[in-house]
Amino acid sequence: MIVKEILIVFFALCAAGSVISLLTKKAHLVISIFGSLASVSLVATGILGLGLGKPLNWSQWSFPIFGQMHFHIDGITSILLLLTGVVALPVSIFSNGYLQRYLGKYSLRSFGVMYHLLLASIAAVFVTWDVMSFLVSWEAMSVLSYLCVNFEHRHEENTHAGLLMLVMGEVGTLAIAISMFILGSAGGGLDFESLRLGAQELGPGASWAVFLLSFFGFGVKAGIVPVNTWLPRAHPAAPANISALLSGVILNLGLYGIIRMNLDLAPVVSVNQGLVVVITGSITALVGILYATIDNDMKRMLAHSSIENIGIITAVFGAGLVFSASSDPTLAGLAFIAAFYHLINHSIYKALLFLGAGSVDARSGTRDMNRLGGLIKIMPWTSLMFLIGAMSIAALPPLNGFVSEWLALQTFLQSATLSSTSSTLVRVTFVLCGAALALTAALAVTCFVKAFAMSFLGKARSAQARSAKPAGGTTRLSMGILALTCIALGLLPTYVIPKLDESVNVPRQRHAVESLVPAFFRPQDANPIMDKAFVDEFHDLGAQVGKGLLPGRGLVVLHRGQARNPVVFAMSTSYTVIVLGLLLAMVFLLVHLFTRKRTQKTRAVWAGGLENLPPELTYTATGFSNPVRVVFNTVFRPQKTETRHQNVARHFRSAVSKQWEVVHLADRWVTGPIVHVLDKLAHLAASMHSGRINAYAAYMLMALVLVLLAGHLFT
Amino acid sequence: MSRWLTEGLLTHKPTTAYPARPESTAGISPGLPVPSSELTGQALEQLVSMCRVGALSKEKNTLGFDDGRCIHCMRCKGKSPKELEWDDSYEWARLTKLGEKNLAKLSASFKASLYIRTIDAGACAACLTEISLLAGPNYNMHRLGFFMTPTPRKADVLLVSGPVTDHMRDHLLEAYDSMPEPKRVIAVGACAMTGGVFGPSFTCAAGLSDMIPVDVVVPGCPPPPLALLHALLVLTGRKQQAEKIRALGSDRS
Repeated sequence: MIVKEILIVFFALCAAGSVISLLTKKAHLVISIFGSLASVSLVATGILGLGLGKPLNWSQWSFPIFGQMHFHIDGITSILLLLTGVVALPVSIFSNGYLQRYLGKYSLRSFGVMYHLLLASIAAVFVTWDVMSFLVSWEAMSVLSYLCVNFEHRHEENTHAGLLMLVMGEVGTLAIAISMFILGSAGGGLDFESLRLGAQELGPGASWAVFLLSFFGFGVKAGIVPVNTWLPRAHPAAPANISALLSGVILNLGLYGIIRMNLDLAPVVSVNQGLVVVITGSITALVGILYATIDNDMKRMLAHSSIENIGIITAVFGAGLVFSASSDPTLAGLAFIAAFYHLINHSIYKALLFLGAGSVDARSGTRDMNRLGGLIKIMPWTSLMFLIGAMSIAALPPLNGFVSEWLALQTFLQSATLSSTSSTLVRVTFVLCGAALALTAALAVTCFVKAFAMSFLGKARSAQARSAKPAGGTTRLSMGILALTCIALGLLPTYVIPKLDESVNVPRQRHAVESLVPAFFRPQDANPIMDKAFVDEFHDLGAQVGKGLLPGRGLVVLHRGQARNPVVFAMSTSYTVIVLGLLLAMVFLLVHLFTRKRTQKTRAVWAGGLENLPPELTYTATGFSNPVRVVFNTVFRPQKTETRHQNVARHFRSAVSKQWEVVHLADRWVTGPIVHVLDKLAHLAASMHSGRINAYAAYMLMALVLVLLAGHLFT
Repeated sequence: MSRWLTEGLLTHKPTTAYPARPESTAGISPGLPVPSSELTGQALEQLVSMCRVGALSKEKNTLGFDDGRCIHCMRCKGKSPKELEWDDSYEWARLTKLGEKNLAKLSASFKASLYIRTIDAGACAACLTEISLLAGPNYNMHRLGFFMTPTPRKADVLLVSGPVTDHMRDHLLEAYDSMPEPKRVIAVGACAMTGGVFGPSFTCAAGLSDMIPVDVVVPGCPPPPLALLHALLVLTGRKQQAEKIRALGSDRS
């Protein structure tokens, strides 16, 4: 029961933090101390919660309108709490150094209050177990995150971005509330257990309504296309630490809602619902990475990339729903593990990248990758951490993004061979969506090669980049924690996957790990399940190489469970490290061997005869991503404007400036038309407001008459 | 691309067959005078005085001709007391002494794939126009394995035109310096060979031979594209080979 006490300690620390930051001038210090302590207690809650075995339920406090408050901690909650803690700890440490730039400009006190309350509301969303308290904490989280994003409120575009975020979030909350109330009315109660009962009572129509409403509502918070447009606007507006929390934690809340609804409370039984999730997720992933690749603002690029990752997670989760609806428990378990692994990885590396982008922004004063460059010489540590993050998100082995993306793609690609029950529609969808995800993965590499190379390598392309300063100690510490977590999650998947399996697949009561990571790959060699021939077959395939030498060999294998030809796929990041290291050494050796006799000469870079190469002439971010822009021109449909400046006559041009403006797909097709219609309606309503007092008096009189009439008629 | 394709199809002008067969279209080359030994005395001196660029000279009572100065003005052709013979061919390029020495050292891999960097060292743009035609459909040097590159760091051959003005001198040297070994230089046109009508003067040098070692020289003002192709073939030793093969074929027939 100590879990409960630690959770209360967490809430107490958050409360203390917000009160103390109200009293002091140094709120950034308070955040780094109390925020970190609260995060540590959250990590402890998560770890202890993982060890619980079975879900922990308790009820506390009763309010006149809301009724009894219910709380619940199970595997999914514990993992997400742990993840929130792991992300919030470095973010809180980072805040100490980062927030000092606001000293004297904006009120750090209010920021401290909002930050601590935001942490508390996030944890509350995870642990509450009835509709009323869930919605209240959800709303608190929405409003607080809006306030935090809108912290630099003196810039008008920030206010606009925050407002859009708030409005879209409220529409989403409305949809969530309706879907939950439908379930609650069918189940006869407002705690989640009643919702679960209610889900079994629903007919197909109501079940579809609940599914679509909740998917839409939580999808807004998660940033799923086409309701993602708030995300790329909110991120550049928010301070870097809030950006990291937004991508690392708050997007997870949306995913948590989708997972909780469709996996646990109202389990998806129809294959088509799963396919909707798969297709939406794949489109989200592709659209996200396309816009990320062409964007040159570091934070907006990361925001688009968050959309991409959320898309991947959603698609893989949807694959799990399809498999479990078509009774394929092993593949379903595998998909859920992959989705959760990717969710965890995304939180970690995206927080890392946002902290990196924030520190670049704070130290150089610009986020435009066209104007950065050459930062590796000035801020080597930040560059290294950013590189680790970029390699992780680009899914390069041996880092964590590779493990989860590999699992996800394997789930998609192997489904055709493994699953015999699926229909043609399912197969075609999986092939197409698998292709879309593969394209996404390839574009992600392009995107982050660009992000790293254009910001940190080459020559500084502006005075700001030249005069940047190295990052401070707290920044380095916080980014180091996240970078190490990335490496650990990449190298030790065999420890992570069984834990994920235990916690994620609890609601389904079917485990996938027996068919995924065979028991004898774990350090202890006992394998009562496998027969000897099976083990020997694996031994002959070389699976036991390095046994005893490497503690976590990290060999992830899906097997068919028979002695002949058992392996479906196998992957090991720790072997990959060794092989890659050896290959790299061999390359150096061979190059040395073959070029021993060659003479080398060093000459200056050829600048076309100019004295020295102007940095503006080097490869820019726009130039690097231009092939993508050209190939996907039909998707982007940029609006081009060309302005010519001329002297004397048309033929003597002094300058030509070309501008490309890319309006997001979702803005063009979904948000734009809605805003247009609302605008029209508002204009219609505004024509009533003439400003004459007589007219208003007439309106009031008419309203009174209407009310009286209605009262007379209906009583 | 589509324009030259349709135009080529409509006008029936295929890519030249050179060097497999000699190109014989009219006007393909401005030609060079052939100095005859018959001229003597008054007529010789009159002819020499007619040449304003100093291509024709009197050498021990016979007519001397320096193709590095000739600009095809044709004064010696039309108005001379005794008309000079006129050579309408275009195979003018020749190896320098250094070029002959270097040719033996060139490995086979360069013969089929050669990257060229062009430097305009103060040329009047006539040579550059001819050079730019090389990559066009009529001459299409890519079929022979010759390619242009924008950076001297990846170039095997430096194609220099112009008398080397003072402004371009340092950049020419820099470009030559940044080329990797083995590197070759072709002096294109009269200016690059001798300074032509411009040099030497107070703004420019007399060609590039006293700055960087030259392997092949191409006379002409400007040399036609086929002369440039010939120069490239001579530089890689492929012209001599082709002639040997052609000679063998004519022996058999």
